[in-house]
Amino acid sequence: MNDDTSFKQSVMQRIAKGSIQMRPRWHFVLLSTLFAVGVLIFLLALMYAVSLLVFFLHQSGAWFAPSFGARGWFSFFRSLPWLLVLLLGVFVIVLEVLVRRYSFVYKKSLLTSVLVLFAAVLFGGFAVSQTPLHRQLTLFARHGVLPPFIGDLYRPPFRLRSDDVFDGVIVATTSHGVVMSDEEDDATTSVIIGPHTRLPYGANFTPGDRIIVVGDRDDDVIEAFGIREVENEEEYESER
Amino acid sequence: MQETDEEIALRVQKGETELFGELVERYQTKLLRYGRKFLSDSDDVKDIVQDIFIKSYQNIQSFDTSRRFSPWIYRIAHNEYVNALKRRAARHTVFDFDIDTLLPHLAAPDTADSATMERDLRATLEAHLDKLDAKYREPLILYYLESMDYKEISDILQIPVSTVGVRLGRARARLKEIAGDTII
Repeated sequence: MNDDTSFKQSVMQRIAKGSIQMRPRWHFVLLSTLFAVGVLIFLLALMYAVSLLVFFLHQSGAWFAPSFGARGWFSFFRSLPWLLVLLLGVFVIVLEVLVRRYSFVYKKSLLTSVLVLFAAVLFGGFAVSQTPLHRQLTLFARHGVLPPFIGDLYRPPFRLRSDDVFDGVIVATTSHGVVMSDEEDDATTSVIIGPHTRLPYGANFTPGDRIIVVGDRDDDVIEAFGIREVENEEEYESER
Repeated sequence: MQETDEEIALRVQKGETELFGELVERYQTKLLRYGRKFLSDSDDVKDIVQDIFIKSYQNIQSFDTSRRFSPWIYRIAHNEYVNALKRRAARHTVFDFDIDTLLPHLAAPDTADSATMERDLRATLEAHLDKLDAKYREPLILYYLESMDYKEISDILQIPVSTVGVRLGRARARLKEIAGDTII
């Protein structure tokens, strides 16, 4: 076989006979558009999942636990649904594999692009969690206007917290601390504020304040390790 | 003045399909040489090169004529040769994780004796190339035998430019081990 002529002859004969066809430009435009849209939807879905996680942690009170120091951080990490966090990590890796075909990604080191993707998903998710989206969906779920699966997702109580994180609304103040109502039932719990209780935002509690408590519970009494008022929740509470 | 590859590709895209033969002529020797080095002179290189041209023709509308044609067709060739290697290998991993691409690397600047070293390397490549892993063999072929720059190799292999430098450095070191004092 003479290399100089055989390839050209063979390929050009097949082109002339029509046995190999040039794919039209729209085929590639469509494919790359669908791929890009798919990647974007995947990215937005991951951001949504992160924002939902932040929203649930926020609603359960675990989000505020780190303000009580090391033990608060410990409670926060114990509150995280690690299987979901792991799954999100795996999905970010999948996203990295998908976008690695783009030159602006493969020209970066794997570590850099994975970190950028993680940061984008985390910051994007956090930004979405700051919008009224989840609160609005919670209200819709309450009024039964969401489809079953989504509706169940947004129906309180949000149990995403460790067993030493509590939230409630103060119904009375006492010489030892406060009495708060449990939002899930009509019971009340006494919260003891001692000399070692961490009060990052002061102790100026009044009835009606929504508070988050980290501490050890014994029946209807909690020895508070940390207690703080949760701000900007009145509007949400009145909506509920 | 001779038309560039990109100009010919544009005319093919616009319907002058007979001009594709000109691109075949320009690249057949290069792709055969690349394939023979990459696949260690396998008998099926000619068939694979034919497939590369067929795929190039079928997909030529996806080629962005504002970019260079050479890395585009070499990328198709790379995929075909890698697939051939995988078919041949008994073990085959779906996800080819490469530690070289994990961390950012600084590209090493060329030294004054680079040119001399390149000449020596080029001379010993032929004899020892088949003793290197494909991962290191391929950038050596593209850089020394196909005279491509780091950026073009980066586009063909879809790895960071700095990783191209790292692989070339490691490949040179490995060649030095294999060839002993005959290089450097």
